[in-house]
Amino acid sequence: MSLIPGLGIVSGMALTLRRFFEPKVTIKYPEVRLDPPHKFRGRLQLLYDEWGTLKCETCFQCAQACPIECIDMGGMDTRGRYHVHWGAPETYGERREESALRRSGRTVPDPAYQPFASIDLTAVDAVLDDFDRDPAHMLEILEATQATYGYLPVAALKRISNLTGAWYAMIYGTASYYRHLRFEPSSATSQAAAVEAQRPAETTYLAAFDTALGGAASATGGGRRTSKPRAQA
Amino acid sequence: MVALLKTPADWPAILLGRAGAADPTDLDVAVRAGAFDGLRRATRDLGPTGTIATIAGSGLRGRGGSGYPTAQKWRVAATTEAPRRYVVANGYGADPAAGSDRFLMETDPFSVVEGVAIAAFAIGASEAIIAVRSEASETIRRLEAAIAAAEEAGFLGFDALGSGHDIGVSVRGVQGAYMLGEETVLLKALEGKRGQPEQRPPHPAERGLYGMPTVVNNVQTLAAVPWIVRQGGPAFATTGRPGAAGTILVQLRTPAGIGIAEVPLGTPLRQVVELGGDLPKGRSIKAILVGGPSGGLLPAELLDTPYDFESLRAVGAHIGSGSMVVADDRACVVDLARLLTRFCSSEACGKTIPCRIGTRRLVEIADRVAEGRPRPTDPGLIADLSADIVASALCDHERLTTFPLGTAMRYFRSELDEHLLRSACPAGVCHPIALAAAAIP
Repeated sequence: MSLIPGLGIVSGMALTLRRFFEPKVTIKYPEVRLDPPHKFRGRLQLLYDEWGTLKCETCFQCAQACPIECIDMGGMDTRGRYHVHWGAPETYGERREESALRRSGRTVPDPAYQPFASIDLTAVDAVLDDFDRDPAHMLEILEATQATYGYLPVAALKRISNLTGAWYAMIYGTASYYRHLRFEPSSATSQAAAVEAQRPAETTYLAAFDTALGGAASATGGGRRTSKPRAQA
Repeated sequence: MVALLKTPADWPAILLGRAGAADPTDLDVAVRAGAFDGLRRATRDLGPTGTIATIAGSGLRGRGGSGYPTAQKWRVAATTEAPRRYVVANGYGADPAAGSDRFLMETDPFSVVEGVAIAAFAIGASEAIIAVRSEASETIRRLEAAIAAAEEAGFLGFDALGSGHDIGVSVRGVQGAYMLGEETVLLKALEGKRGQPEQRPPHPAERGLYGMPTVVNNVQTLAAVPWIVRQGGPAFATTGRPGAAGTILVQLRTPAGIGIAEVPLGTPLRQVVELGGDLPKGRSIKAILVGGPSGGLLPAELLDTPYDFESLRAVGAHIGSGSMVVADDRACVVDLARLLTRFCSSEACGKTIPCRIGTRRLVEIADRVAEGRPRPTDPGLIADLSADIVASALCDHERLTTFPLGTAMRYFRSELDEHLLRSACPAGVCHPIALAAAAIP
C-alpha cells in the first residue's frame, strides 16, 4: 500500500494512456528480428554434421535427462541398427506419424514403422525373479536375457522396465553401451557391421597394431594376423 | 599365458614371489609359502588404523596408472560415515594388448584375495568385489577356487579369522568396453548402468558403489599389500626408488618376443627393454610405446628415463596399463600414433564434448597427415586441440588420448615433417601417401 490511496491505479492508468497514444509497432520479420529470451531453445531438432549424417546416436541420454519428459523417440534408430522405443505408448513418435499418414490417406511406407514383435515373456520373468527384480543387477539381467533369447528384444526390455521399475531409457542406455549386448539376432549382420564401423573390436585393433609394428610377433594370442598391402617407398 | 621374463637376481619379488606353484589355487601350499600371514597380522596385531598406518609408511601408490597414495584412499573411505563400505579390485585390464593383471591373478590368486581382504578389514567393508574380464574364464575359475578355499579355511567370510569382521569376497565378470578400466566407469558397470565416468570430487572413496565409500584399487596394488603387512612398511619403502616404492608388472613386447616381468619402480627403461633380449639383426629401436594405447612414444634417446610415475609423465608417457612396446625401424611413428589415437577415440564413452568430438578431430588430422594431404596448419591444430582437450577433460582417458600424437610431435618432428612438407613416409608404411606424392608434378 502506498501512502496516498489510489496512487497505484493512477500510475497504472497513466501507463495505459501513454501506450494508447504511442505509435503501434509491427516487427517486419524476417528483415527485423527480436532477440529471443536467453533460455529459449526452440523446436527439438536432430542436427547433421558436415558430411550430412545425423549426429544423433540414438543413445536416449537426452530423453533420460529431460526434466519434463517431452522427448520421445520411436522407430528405427538414426544409425539404421535397431528399433528404439521410449516414452508412454500413446506418445510414440512413429505411432503419431503413422496415424497422420493414415489420416491423409497414404500408405505407411517405412518398414521402421512396424511395431515391435511381441514374444513369449515367461523367460524374462524367470530371469527377473532370479535377480529379485532389482535394477542394481541390470547388467546381469540383460546378459541373462540375451543368453535366453540370443539378443535383447524390445518387448523384453519393456518387460524388464515394467517389473524392475527402472526407466526404459536407463536400461536402453546400459544395453546400447556394452559391446556384447545386441538388439538383433546374431544372424542379422547389420548391427554388427554398424557397431564395428563406430567402435572396432579389440581384435581389429590388435591386428592393426601388429601391422603397424611391421608384422612383429603377435603380442597377445588374441590378435589375428592380417597382411595389409603396403606401399613401397 | 604370456611367458615370465628372467629378471636380475637382486630385483625384489614382491608380487610374483610365489609364482611357479604347481597348482596356484592350492591353499595349503600357498599358506606354507606365507599366504594369509598378512591378514592374520592385520587382524590380530595391527587393527584397522594400524594397517592403514603400515601402508602409509610403505609409500604404496596405485598401480592402476594414476599413482595415487593407497593409504590416503583407504583413510578417506574408513573415516567417511556410511552404513556400508565396499572394496573393488580392478582387474579388468582394459588394454587389449596387455595381460599383466590377468597374469598376476592366474599365477597367484591368493595374494590378490588376501590383499582385498586386508583392504576390506582396514576400511571396515564387509563386501569386496574383484572385477575381471568375462572373457578370462580361467582367471575367474582360479579366483573363485581360491576364494572358496580361503572361506573353507576361515580366512574369509563370517567372522574372518575370529576378528569379528565379516569379509565377503566375490568375483564379477564385466565386459564390453575399454573404458571399464577407469574406476568410476567400473563402478557404474557394477551398478548395472551405462559406463560413463563421473565428475570428481567426490571421489569413490567418499561416494562410490551405490553411493557408499568405496576403495577401488588395481589388483597389483592389492597384491603388494599382504607383503607390506607381513614385512612392514619400511622394508617396502626401500625397494624401488624414493617416492615410488615397490615393484610393478611390465608386459614387454619387442620384435624379439613378448613377456611379463616384475620390475622395481625407478628402473631405467633401458634395463627393462634389455630383459626382452636382443633385437633381430639389422634392426634398431625407433620408438618405445610406454603405457598402452594412450601411452607416449618415446625415442631411443630417452631410454635412461626411470620407469616411475612422475618421470614418465614428465617426458609425456605414463605407466598406464604397464605395457611397453618396442617398435623397430620398420614402424612409422605417425602411423602408429594415428592408430593409437583412433583406438582411444572410438572407445571414448561420449560423455564430454572434448572427448567425443575433440579426439575424433585429432584422428582426422592424423589421418590426413598419414594419407599425404596435410595442411600447413596441422601441427598447430594438433597442439591447440590437445591443449584444449587436456584443459577441459572429465576423466584421464581424454587427457591421455592426446599423448601418442603429442609425443610423436615432440620427439619425432623430423619424421612428421617429412609427412607434412614432402608428403613422404620415410618408413614406407603410410599407404596412400606414396600415391599422393606421385601425383605432385
